[in-house]
Amino acid sequence: MPTEAPSSAPVLEVQDLSLRFKGAPANIVDGLSFAVRPGETLCIVGESGCGKSVTALSLMGLLPKGVARVMSGTATFGGQDLLALPQRALADLRGDRISMIFQEPMTSLNPSYRIGDQIAEIVLRHRPVSRAEARARAQEMLERVKIPAASSRLDDYPHELSGGMRQRVMIAMALANDPVLLIADEPTTALDVTIQAQIIDLIEDLQKESGTALIMITHDLGVVAEIADRVCVMYAGRAVEDGPVSAIFDDPQHPYTIGLMSSVPSVGPRSGKLATIGGMVPTIDNMPNGCRFSPRCPFAGARCDSVPPLVELGPAHEAACHYAPLESAFAEAAG
Amino acid sequence: MSLTTRDKIIETRAVTKRFGGRKSLFKPATSVSAVNGVSLDIKRGETFSIVGESGCGKSTLARLLVRLLTPSDGAVLYDGNDISALSEQEMRHLRKDLQFIFQDPFSSLNPRMSVGALIEEPMKVHTTLSRAERRQKVAELLNRVGLRPAFANRYPHEFSGGQRQRIGIARALASGPKVIVGDEPVSALDVSVQAQVINLLEDLKSEFDLTLILIAHDLAVIRHMSDRVAVMYLGEIVELAPNDALFDKPLHPYTQALMRAIPIASPHGRSMKAALSGDVPSPLDPPSGCRFHPRCPHATDLCSQEKPAPATIAGDRTVACHHWEKIADADQSPVQEPPRSPNAEKRFALFRTRSQQQEPTTATRP
Repeated sequence: MPTEAPSSAPVLEVQDLSLRFKGAPANIVDGLSFAVRPGETLCIVGESGCGKSVTALSLMGLLPKGVARVMSGTATFGGQDLLALPQRALADLRGDRISMIFQEPMTSLNPSYRIGDQIAEIVLRHRPVSRAEARARAQEMLERVKIPAASSRLDDYPHELSGGMRQRVMIAMALANDPVLLIADEPTTALDVTIQAQIIDLIEDLQKESGTALIMITHDLGVVAEIADRVCVMYAGRAVEDGPVSAIFDDPQHPYTIGLMSSVPSVGPRSGKLATIGGMVPTIDNMPNGCRFSPRCPFAGARCDSVPPLVELGPAHEAACHYAPLESAFAEAAG
Repeated sequence: MSLTTRDKIIETRAVTKRFGGRKSLFKPATSVSAVNGVSLDIKRGETFSIVGESGCGKSTLARLLVRLLTPSDGAVLYDGNDISALSEQEMRHLRKDLQFIFQDPFSSLNPRMSVGALIEEPMKVHTTLSRAERRQKVAELLNRVGLRPAFANRYPHEFSGGQRQRIGIARALASGPKVIVGDEPVSALDVSVQAQVINLLEDLKSEFDLTLILIAHDLAVIRHMSDRVAVMYLGEIVELAPNDALFDKPLHPYTQALMRAIPIASPHGRSMKAALSGDVPSPLDPPSGCRFHPRCPHATDLCSQEKPAPATIAGDRTVACHHWEKIADADQSPVQEPPRSPNAEKRFALFRTRSQQQEPTTATRP
């Protein structure tokens, strides 16, 4: 449900972001734009290799040097362009005003430090507090993420915690300095469903309390329906559709969005065979020149040789397809 | 009697698998019962699914069913014969019938063998086909799973996850099996590729008269593919029921919690509930009585003292809970999907029609 007035200024506004891996003939992220407002949850949805994680890393200034670089674009955050900031300035922002939660909590926690110290470290890095105060903050955060017996858990090592508990610790770390923007990259993908439900509940509650803007990267349409205010669907490095969550589910416009939704098995009674999207995602050496989805698209036609722009099809709802809305272009089969 | 054995392709009788347990001078033996006294029947020709969270023993049970693991106690019967004590030599003949598809298509194919050699290998072991016949069959199988026969000369690293899973399926089919066990066969795949592999498995199942045993944690995949479903918790089956019955009216509190936790892919659906607090307890030291009682909202003193025996109830179902009758209220199905909007419905139909008109390139039929 949209929480804030849509008129409030975006926390982060990304415009025309293009990223390229070294030596690659095409951009891995190509002309991506999106914005997220205070208290809002934006879900970026797409399959492996669509560029959703590299996008997050580039915003955090975490792209490995010499491997990938920013070709164009701006990412305006608090009046500054994140993509143009020097590493020092980014280091001051990370963990303070922008935080990130990763998919794999085991590899993102340091196995040789106690979790209390790891949370306190983040507080000490950004706040003028004493060790004792930082530790008290760490305990408070563990309580906020509902880790039972938080005070005795402070001295645990990551290996002593279950996957769900580790992800709670990651969230505690990410929120320790009350960030204005939280980027979560598949935070529940490695977890079981009952634990996933706990973590999603927790993220939603904490977000409501703090008014943090959330960018959630996921491939799971169920999670999207559960948590998103707005959705950006990515395919092969480009946004193919974006809009409010209800528009994306009730009025999907791009053939990829439609194909993706109809290939997910339903938990309701079976309704025949699954629809499929033929073929597979193009590799970076093989990117089509025009619409990148066209080789797999059942609607592809002559116009798809040129890149389709995002066109507004409803309130704050855009899709990048020459033939949208499909039923008017393909009326003969619609009946 | 002969008829019932003919109906059942695989049976287990109180099968248990313990791991570890070497004792030392100073420590008592500790062992984990990954699977604890499981009895079930798998009917010929059905798709039987085992669902549960990580560590519940579902993969161990799957491996026991086809004797990739030897049971510590109890028996596994294939076609009415006990296979739990057969020697490796004797098992080799049965491997022809019992094949396995692994979760990770990246680590389950030998990277140094060509795709052709990978698919041919089971035929070398299990059939008397000549070299030329085997080559011919490799080409047919590749074609059947939607790959080009020319791929036989390539190596696994040249393929994507979905294609590798197809190679794994072709290899499993090569010996002419009767039972295929898929251990999370689609969970490593992207959604659009997952749908292709699900459809392929279903087609192959009816084409080759297979019995399919499916291990999965994704309840939507289970709902879509299964005839019957067993729900496991900490090494035990807590509920076993026909697919629709289970999803319409789950009886065990664990099954109910599991279903309430599934996110529904519709913004108008019920919102998911974290009905369970805490984590699965360690199987090293399982709770007394009902293993689910520490996390169960309905638990009473009885549950911590006495293990509930599986109750057989109408409609070919079993449930292992002391209180299932009391808690089975007239609750609506926890997984109702709200109807799609007319616009979405219309475009989904259009997508389907158009994709059927243009047969996708990777799924060429023979």
